[in-house]
Amino acid sequence: MELVLKGFGEVVKTVTFRVRRYDPEKKEMPKYMEYKVPVQRGMTVLDGVLYIKEHLDPSLAARYSCRMGICGSCAMIINGKERLACQTQILELNKDLIKVDPLGNYDTVKDLVPDLNKLFKNHESVKPYIVREEAEPYGEYIQLPEEREKYALFTECIMCGACLSACPTMATDDLYLGPQALAQAYRYIADSRDAGFNERLNLLDSKHGVWRCHFAGACSEVCPKGVDPALAIQLLRGVLSKNVFIKYKQNPAKLGPERASIKEVL
Amino acid sequence: MAIENKKGWISWFNPIKYGFDRWLFAMHRFTGIVIGLYLMAHVFETSNILRGPLTWNNVMVFLDWPFGIHFGPYILSALLLVVVFHALNGLRLTIVENGLMLVRPYRPEYPYKPKSLAGWNFALKIVLGILMIVISVFGIVYIFTGVIL
Amino acid sequence: MRESKIMLLQYLTGLFILVLGTFHMLLLSVLAPTSNKVLYQYASTNHTLIGGTLYYSTVTAIYHTLLWGSIFELLLTFLVFHIFNGFRIILSEQFPGAKAEKVITYSMLILGLVIFIWGSRTIVLMLLQGGI
Repeated sequence: MELVLKGFGEVVKTVTFRVRRYDPEKKEMPKYMEYKVPVQRGMTVLDGVLYIKEHLDPSLAARYSCRMGICGSCAMIINGKERLACQTQILELNKDLIKVDPLGNYDTVKDLVPDLNKLFKNHESVKPYIVREEAEPYGEYIQLPEEREKYALFTECIMCGACLSACPTMATDDLYLGPQALAQAYRYIADSRDAGFNERLNLLDSKHGVWRCHFAGACSEVCPKGVDPALAIQLLRGVLSKNVFIKYKQNPAKLGPERASIKEVL
Repeated sequence: MAIENKKGWISWFNPIKYGFDRWLFAMHRFTGIVIGLYLMAHVFETSNILRGPLTWNNVMVFLDWPFGIHFGPYILSALLLVVVFHALNGLRLTIVENGLMLVRPYRPEYPYKPKSLAGWNFALKIVLGILMIVISVFGIVYIFTGVIL
Repeated sequence: MRESKIMLLQYLTGLFILVLGTFHMLLLSVLAPTSNKVLYQYASTNHTLIGGTLYYSTVTAIYHTLLWGSIFELLLTFLVFHIFNGFRIILSEQFPGAKAEKVITYSMLILGLVIFIWGSRTIVLMLLQGGI
């Protein structure tokens, strides 16, 4: 029996892609180039970009990996808003002209590839791991499901960097930590197993730390995973402003029973 | 080294792509700058009171009728709008920026509408917005007619 | 000072300004010490001020009261802190960097002091004229 999918593989319409082309190695200003792309049902913007690369202009550079919204490589500014190219249906945009820009507030490596070094550096600087005083444990730290709910939302981050591009503070302030790093800082501070609040405090409370957020909410608006970094930053600020009066105390979770299997591996 | 693709302050005034809160941010900053510059002018203006009744009254009349046009009430109305907006939005920001009246961390669900901008935060925006309109109407009516509603 | 303390002061001064500023606005309308509560009362023939809440004698009457004088002084203090700290934040976001930071902080400090002294001078001298 042959299964016939209605309309599958048919070209529905032709849209124009206006793509920002820029190569820092050539001493040229960024320019926009237009490509006509036939659109089939179910085609994403990333498919459109790859169509251009395969059929029209092989010199176009774009970064992508999983094509299913997991890796966070293909964040671009599509029609003025930061989105994952692989999660944006061309037909759902409902426009004949699709403007594709690389993420703003970053250096550009080439064309649609932003240099995310800043994002990773800022992320690393807030110590995105559980900080404990004791040595490497041979068991798990004990955590209740309710305690996990306090930060579970912020673990969904895929580090696509869309929030830093949408952030209005980041648009002018290079030294700002950015929504992603601050949300991850809160994720670890709110974690009941963590004891590293004081180690992170100096950086978070600095001149370009958490207080340079002005709750414009753009980071949450564009986040492709619904992480809501703005919420994390405001909650983190709540912790910091209470910390002025009463020193914030973390009660790091207790260590569970030692496991022989872990000892063997280590 | 400067960031090549930096968007700059002009991107704050992008009115449609990012939703209401970013627009509020831009307006809060803009009104803040306006009020700050006004304070400097105001301190200079009020220091004229030390120079006697004639100077003071002349300055007041000049500010009400700059260059022979009755423009003073419009300036005062615009200033009132700016001040009321900054005051009420600042009140909201004082609350929410210290982590109060916000939702607890939740589980994200498609289509991923951020809940930090909704809920009590949104209710505050509505209530303070209505309050802003009411105060502005009272103020502007007073400025133009001298009638205290 | 730590940024969190500065920002806490920023929020607190904001709240105080909200309260005192409301009085300042009411003073121009409801609370004005004049029988005719209009901003400007002109003579019928030409643009000569003959009364209103911004008339010289009304304003001096306000300035000569110790209560209003101290409210103005407090309002000025909070406003100068709030505004120049706000300017510092805006400028340091616009021009990030350690060197620019220093220039911005000190220039805002000096400018704020100048405005504060200038405004206080008006208030204090007016109070002294009123016999306090």
